[in-house]
Amino acid sequence: MAHRRVFQTLIRQYSSSSFKTLNPLLQSLPRITQTQHFPQKLNLISPNLTPIQNTHFSITRHFSSNRSDDSDDDDDDDDDDDDDEGESLDEDDVVSGFSGKKEYTAEEKESEANAIGYKVVGPLERSDRVFKDYEPVFAVIQIGSHQFKVSNGDCIYAEKLKFCEVHDKIILNKVLMLGSPTQTLIGRPMLPDATVHAVIEEHALDAKVIIFKKKRRKNYRRTKGHRQELTKIRITDIQGIEKPVTQVVPEKIKKTVKKVEKVAVPA
Amino acid sequence: MFDTPLTDLLLAYAGFEYSIFDYCDTMSQRGVWQLKKLVVSYCNWGGSSRGVREFMESKLPAFKESNPQLEVETKHIGGQHPHLEGIYRNKNERTVCVRNMTPEEVLECATKLRNSLGRKVVKLKTRHVTKHPSVQGTWTTALKL
Repeated sequence: MAHRRVFQTLIRQYSSSSFKTLNPLLQSLPRITQTQHFPQKLNLISPNLTPIQNTHFSITRHFSSNRSDDSDDDDDDDDDDDDDEGESLDEDDVVSGFSGKKEYTAEEKESEANAIGYKVVGPLERSDRVFKDYEPVFAVIQIGSHQFKVSNGDCIYAEKLKFCEVHDKIILNKVLMLGSPTQTLIGRPMLPDATVHAVIEEHALDAKVIIFKKKRRKNYRRTKGHRQELTKIRITDIQGIEKPVTQVVPEKIKKTVKKVEKVAVPA
Repeated sequence: MFDTPLTDLLLAYAGFEYSIFDYCDTMSQRGVWQLKKLVVSYCNWGGSSRGVREFMESKLPAFKESNPQLEVETKHIGGQHPHLEGIYRNKNERTVCVRNMTPEEVLECATKLRNSLGRKVVKLKTRHVTKHPSVQGTWTTALKL
């Protein structure tokens, strides 16, 4: 047992030192071959080197911790001749971050957000006049698996929306029903052209709920605290339905008519 | 609220839609950041402050730049555990103890304070807050479509 351990440590040390020394050699080889036009030399050298490295890395690293090992990725990349490609694949596949958070690409974010039912437009600008007065129009919206009947100026507490920050403008595209005092549009199941604009107000935790489990006379008691992460969304605009026109306009017309009459008389 | 008229003027000048009625409603934010001041208290000697000290060196400048509206203050308290204190626009104060936390965790705490309104942490009555619950008229048994 001790002999095997000694053997393994020796191999590990040799492999780590040799890999470091071989690495610059390998990187320089393709350049050399390109300039000197000796592709045959590369083919001769590389099969000799790669099997050595693979045998070294297959013996070592029996740890249980989930580290980003070169060994695991080298075993997968047996077919690759070029070791530079293998290293670049390692960096992309590895889950970075101390807490193991998944890093989303921009496309993944959009597609997941779309699946839940919203789309991030962008941060709220100071020049945006987004907050309007109340309009008598409602919409039935779906966010995730929950549905809300929503109007202009309302606040909704939904489950935490991942890919948006406070003061972001949002478009909610899963609209199931629109309504106004004169008209109702019912979707089957969604309305295609309807959109609801909203602004994220806060990301916060709900009050603590204590989950208490007990089985009587069985000596079993458990207490668990839980705080749900919520997002507060303020609805600013509903589009896709004709909004009723307000009655402020006729008064202004009467005033202008009077002024015209007065001007006409002295002339 | 004694400082409402001044804040009204400032925010109207800044170009925000703003009304006194909405400001009195503590739930509304309307494009206005609710966290006014963040006080980072730390200790130079204690080991529980190590994360906060590293946070102050590495991540605090970036946090300050990304939140220009926020007033960040660092305070030295000797022999005590470190904490972050957030002072909100509605005069609420929320203190979070950050002892023995890594700089990343301290940044998460600071971001959570910045993301929240200053409202009291109570169980929500409803998840839908509205002033106009009905558009087409409330349903009654006498209604006939």
